[in-house]
Amino acid sequence: MPTAGLKTIIALSFVLAVGFLLVILSCALWHSYYPLLVVATYVLAPVPNWICSHCANPDDFVESSGAAVLDLGRFCTGFLVVMGIALPVLLAHSNLITIPAMVMSVIGGLLIYGTIISFTMFFQEEQEF
Amino acid sequence: MSEDRLWKFRRPEWLNSVWARNAGVYAAGGLFSLAFYILLDSAVWSKSALNGSSIHITFVDWLPFIFSSLGMLIINSVEKARLSADSFSYSGSGVAWKARVVLFLGFAALAGGMAGGVTVFVLRFVVPGVPFPAMTMGVENVVANGLVGLSQNMEDEYSYNLAL
Repeated sequence: MPTAGLKTIIALSFVLAVGFLLVILSCALWHSYYPLLVVATYVLAPVPNWICSHCANPDDFVESSGAAVLDLGRFCTGFLVVMGIALPVLLAHSNLITIPAMVMSVIGGLLIYGTIISFTMFFQEEQEF
Repeated sequence: MSEDRLWKFRRPEWLNSVWARNAGVYAAGGLFSLAFYILLDSAVWSKSALNGSSIHITFVDWLPFIFSSLGMLIINSVEKARLSADSFSYSGSGVAWKARVVLFLGFAALAGGMAGGVTVFVLRFVVPGVPFPAMTMGVENVVANGLVGLSQNMEDEYSYNLAL
């Protein structure tokens, strides 16, 4: 269904733009550009999972070393996802950014990460085959 | 199967699924990240203008976290299936014994890190009687090491149930 795919792409790009808008606004309104780190974190978050899923050998059931590499990737992804929330809270606690900037960058970061996740979920089949 | 069970309440079946294991691994990464950022928060806060006291975070405050992270790394590097491997023919020369020694070292480092966190908290913050906004740094140290231990337990639950 090309129309449904097109609508999905439009909606996802709209959400992504809103996320970027919130993060950049949280930087520019208070003239402190630390929250841009949130964008870098969430863009990097799926990368360990992706790399380790290519490294792993899925046929290797006996030694379970392939599963260990997969687990390492999941661990790093979980680390980066929580880092995206913890970093603005840390900056706000030390008075480097204000509380509204923290809230805006957290919401924007979650929107960006949600876009990346749902994009890979929607279009996974077309990549696989 | 049900005769050799000890406890009245059985574990729910969904805990054994692959999905629950993956969620546990993600949650372990999240908890470790939380621990690291709580400790980093105390370090950043001690350098910021909000800290009016003369107490600052030094390398000593990071040492327990380094030890518990090292313990976590060691424990997760050991292949848990080797713990009961002495009965198999292909694993000679005491692999299970080595696995137990390395695993013991890992758990010792983990517990030592947690105990060290409490030690730093008591020696540097409780005994001199630090007032509260600066006391937060010590509390954060203890909480961070506890979270590292907790993430370790969550990740290991499944594999031990398979291995032992």
